[in-house]
Amino acid sequence: MPSRKIRWRKLFRSLHRDIGYVVAALTLAYSISGIAVNHIEDWNPNYTFANTRIDVGGLPVGDYQAMQDHVVAALKINPKAVKGHFMETETLFRVFLTNTEEVSVDIETGKGLFKQVKTRAVLYEINALHLNSIKGIWTWVADVFALMLIVLVLTGVTMMKGKRGIMGRGKWFVASGLAIPLVFIWYMVAGA
Amino acid sequence: MFRIQILNAIALVALTLTVTACDKGPQTGTPTPAAKAGDTVKAGDTEVTKTQPTEAAKPAPQASAKGDVYGAGVDEMTTVAISEILADPEAFDGKTVQVEGMVTDVCAKRGCWFEMAGKAPGEKARFKVQDGEMVFPMSAKGKSAVAQGKIVAQKLSLEETRAMEEHYATESGREFDPQSITEGKTVFRIEGTGAIIRD
Repeated sequence: MPSRKIRWRKLFRSLHRDIGYVVAALTLAYSISGIAVNHIEDWNPNYTFANTRIDVGGLPVGDYQAMQDHVVAALKINPKAVKGHFMETETLFRVFLTNTEEVSVDIETGKGLFKQVKTRAVLYEINALHLNSIKGIWTWVADVFALMLIVLVLTGVTMMKGKRGIMGRGKWFVASGLAIPLVFIWYMVAGA
Repeated sequence: MFRIQILNAIALVALTLTVTACDKGPQTGTPTPAAKAGDTVKAGDTEVTKTQPTEAAKPAPQASAKGDVYGAGVDEMTTVAISEILADPEAFDGKTVQVEGMVTDVCAKRGCWFEMAGKAPGEKARFKVQDGEMVFPMSAKGKSAVAQGKIVAQKLSLEETRAMEEHYATESGREFDPQSITEGKTVFRIEGTGAIIRD
């Protein structure tokens, strides 16, 4: 019976290829989310906001339920959509509606805003996965994903041999990829 | 043979991803136990501010005792009215409390805080957690929340108060005039462990 010698590089190539297929979708999702949340100070990666100016006329004085009813009638809102109301300040009255909508009115002038908040399609969901805000089992899934990325890296850097392998020009590419974060870490430490 | 093993492994991982992707957390259900009264709590904080006293606010009606549980949830204990804390905050300093109210605002960027309305107009409590510890959705606005934690008083200078209010206004999409703040505030932080938000 002939001896079966394991061909490591062939194995690594197979692993690299097939794990790459598995993690393709989530890697793309995490990358897109990473760019999105990286710029959170400049834009909101989860929600969009729309404000429409309104004028509901003079509001009844002193009775908050009557104020709410007035706002609902003036804007032709389905009363079932009302979740509650709150007197924010002496003059600012807020009515909360379903679908993350809100009416805020100055009770003296009757003028205000109809506010709508909508989640960004797809981005909201992948941000939740990327930032693991859902917790629970997803924490373990993310761990498995991270381990698969580690395997992807290790099989990636070792699959080639010779001049194009890690011992050839590959080491310079790896070194350049390592140098960038090292420079920033040095800057952080030295600047602290 | 090896190829088949690889394919099997891939299929298993893919199945795991498919099944777990259906996990919609936060958990929905009845409250889960949180830290006991007097425990040192690490995760979050609530700030209680008072902008305008008197009269009533209408919280969202509670259709169900169940709700979305964040963090460790809340214990079965007596809820303290926000107005009660505001009336004598020093009396609550260092105590573990549970507060309840309608959610009026949520951190739009990171979901790291929400504000609850007290019974009186202008009375609000801010429940804040470390980024990522709990993430509250904007859809919580208008819902009823119960939050638990230990109250810690914190005196802020005028500059700190303006910076805090500006930060909160920016995060909730409101306009802010620094001159509207003329003196430093004492905020009452509840270092909390969890909350329940329900319709």
